[in-house]
Amino acid sequence: MIRILLWIAIFFGGLVILAYVGLSILAGGPRDAIGMLRFALPHMHLGKLRVGDSAPDAQLVALDGTTRFHIRERNIGRPLVLVFGSFT
Amino acid sequence: MGDIVQIYNDYKDHADFLTIYIREAHPLDEWRMRSNEKDKDDVCYVQPRNLGQRVAIANDFTRRLKFTVPFGIDEMNNAAEGAYAAWPERLYILDESGRVSYKGGNGPFKYDPKEVRAWLAQRYGEVKHPEPAPEKKS
Repeated sequence: MIRILLWIAIFFGGLVILAYVGLSILAGGPRDAIGMLRFALPHMHLGKLRVGDSAPDAQLVALDGTTRFHIRERNIGRPLVLVFGSFT
Repeated sequence: MGDIVQIYNDYKDHADFLTIYIREAHPLDEWRMRSNEKDKDDVCYVQPRNLGQRVAIANDFTRRLKFTVPFGIDEMNNAAEGAYAAWPERLYILDESGRVSYKGGNGPFKYDPKEVRAWLAQRYGEVKHPEPAPEKKS
């Protein structure tokens, strides 16, 4: 019985190590794998929006830091390409 | 972002563009990236804690990259990011009636400006650029 439990533990331990190595390769390094698990995965979502859905609106701030406008205000009569991102 | 600027220049007479600046993907106090530290421009910031800090980084971004695409910054409640599941980077196209016509994948692995170009090219025609001339060997 103990031997079976030992093999199960070795199997799952091996899986964890393999997953960590794979994630490290994907993320760019062992430290980045931890960063990905801690900060990326909780924020990365496929989202519920689908093609054909009414686009949600949101208020944005202009580069002057005070002027406010809505996404919807920029989507009048022509297609609107939205580019989400940050500097880092 | 260079691809997006090129697409913007090619199709701005037909479609509107809006960059939406969201939470930092790799700030120093979260998941920092060595590539950012090695970058010649040293793109290192902590995650903004207030709107003023986010606006300052966004301004630094547009200034350093000479980024000409129209620009908006997500509020600190991250409403736009949440509504579009946009972190860390993502592309959408909304049609004239305000419906989602194209939804890109999450960056960085599924972020593909070529798909946006293809959507625009299908509607408004392809914009071709001359191949860069090969470098002359001395």
